[in-house]
Amino acid sequence: MSAPAQSKSLKAIGEDTWKNKTEKVNAELFTLTYGAIVSQLCADYDRDFQKVNNHLFSMGYNIGVRLVEDFLARTALPRCENMVKTSEMISKCAFKIFLNMTPQVTNWSSEKDAFSLMLDENPLSDFVELPMDAMKQLWYSNVLSGVLKGALEMVQLDCDVWFVSDILKGDPQTELRIKLNKVLKDEVPIGED
Amino acid sequence: MKSKEDINQSDKKMDRPNVASNAPTVADTQEMTEQQKLQHQLQIFQNSLPKVSQTAYMMLLNECVPLSMAVERKRGDCNSKLDRNCDDEVSQAGEQLQKIHVSPPLDPPSHQLCRELYEADEEKHNRVLDRLRNIGFEIGNKITELLVFSNNPNLQFKDMDLLSVMKFICRDVWRQMFNKQIDNLKTNHRGTFYLFDYDYQPIQSFALDSESSEKELQMVKPFLEIAVGVIKGVLASIGHAPEDVICLASYVDRPDEKPKASFTKGVSFHVQITM
Amino acid sequence: MAIYSFWIFDKHCNCIFDREWTLISNSASGTINSKQTEETAKLLYGMIYSLRSVTQKLSRDDTANDVRSISIGKYRIHTYCTASGLWFVLLSDYKQASYAHVLQYIHSHIYVKYVTHNILSPYDFAANENETRGQGFRKIGNRNFISSLEAFLAPMIAQ
Repeated sequence: MSAPAQSKSLKAIGEDTWKNKTEKVNAELFTLTYGAIVSQLCADYDRDFQKVNNHLFSMGYNIGVRLVEDFLARTALPRCENMVKTSEMISKCAFKIFLNMTPQVTNWSSEKDAFSLMLDENPLSDFVELPMDAMKQLWYSNVLSGVLKGALEMVQLDCDVWFVSDILKGDPQTELRIKLNKVLKDEVPIGED
Repeated sequence: MKSKEDINQSDKKMDRPNVASNAPTVADTQEMTEQQKLQHQLQIFQNSLPKVSQTAYMMLLNECVPLSMAVERKRGDCNSKLDRNCDDEVSQAGEQLQKIHVSPPLDPPSHQLCRELYEADEEKHNRVLDRLRNIGFEIGNKITELLVFSNNPNLQFKDMDLLSVMKFICRDVWRQMFNKQIDNLKTNHRGTFYLFDYDYQPIQSFALDSESSEKELQMVKPFLEIAVGVIKGVLASIGHAPEDVICLASYVDRPDEKPKASFTKGVSFHVQITM
Repeated sequence: MAIYSFWIFDKHCNCIFDREWTLISNSASGTINSKQTEETAKLLYGMIYSLRSVTQKLSRDDTANDVRSISIGKYRIHTYCTASGLWFVLLSDYKQASYAHVLQYIHSHIYVKYVTHNILSPYDFAANENETRGQGFRKIGNRNFISSLEAFLAPMIAQ
């Protein structure tokens, strides 16, 4: 069966790249740095958490559009044929290589155009506790939504990415949802269509 | 403020603590072995801690500069309309977006925000740099907790004098953040320090045009401000209030012996602490 | 002469970098991002585009199929296409069968390092709608990219 074989090699690519081809820093430092960024944004926007959420998203987008090129260079992976492959690439390779985590893929839509990532561990928010007002409105790790949106757009997948739940808000789990809107058509030179 | 030359002249016995080498002294070989054992243990401990990729970290850190400019833009836009209207608009739009999960409005690309920062007036520019220093300060303030480790032979905070704190910054803090140490530390033993990093990690890939230029150096300068904040933050966490600390980043020429690097200049952090 | 020219195309059908070598004896000879190569760029793009379309349709099963090299009379065109829509193209003689590793290296160690991770450089060279679909003109011009590329390819030019 080609599908499980492909899965295995994606996992192997992710692990091998993480183990042997990636320079590493302390995850705690990463958590600390991200916390400082979110803090500063909350101060800048006077605790208007909706604005903070949006800005974390757009920051993530600007990171994602570049990060994806780094990812493709490290793994030399081609475009995915469908969202199932895409979900595997994201969870087994991308998250592994950059954040050393492998979120679980669940909650597929019936058309297989939307899925969720369950983030059991999250280096962005380890040991973070939110104050009461933030708990109601802040999507602390929203930078991840932006990163995925930007990265997927660069491989011609127009998706919506958003957090459904977050343990920092008191929810039982942290769930990030990705929904494909449309596959962007590759451009054709003017005059050739 | 004393210039580097003044310090050179006023203090003939220039202390250049060699932070990079671990050359063993003849003095007490048994203590050295104990030291080495502790170093080794520290390495093992550090290696066992959870990690993330340095690329992800560096991109997050660098993206703070365009982010801070984008925040400045947004706040500028809001101030030009009636505050109340603007806030209502944004809140309403935000609530609607939440319901249908469409992506929030995006900022211009990073390289464009960097250019806008370069072209911004002095007041705006300084507000952005302040933001960056604040972020750095928070990191520096908490990083000591991260690195204080009872087995760490480099750290005995109880007895730490200023020079030891600076060495801690040069060695441990820099290594955590940039996977390398400060290349050279100079001091006049009277509260003034120069930290030289000839290959400052975050900016090595940056280049604007076919020729290196003053414009390029100015555009890259904001990327030094987080580190400025980090230094102040570390000093604050060990008791030196930010009002007593001056920290300024500037470019220096790289020494000839250094192999050619992609970014033409090194960075020096001038730290002055009033006792 | 082993290598004649090197090109990068982006997903907007634009040539964002080109380097032509003219003298076997002088690896510094030739042009970088010259206006004179525009016509050639468009022809090259068109040919690769057509062949890639056909190749993808000729896939026998689910696995992706892509052009690797095109052999034409006097020279060979090597292509390396990324999922992000970048094409790295090299024109060479027949001595070496594949330059895939060379092109992959350029992508991962030169392009990603000095364009993607260079926050002063755009990651998308079409600044607006009017510069898409082959109408763009912006090129990679930063010195780190160019000098790294030159240093990497220079030894291969005369072989």
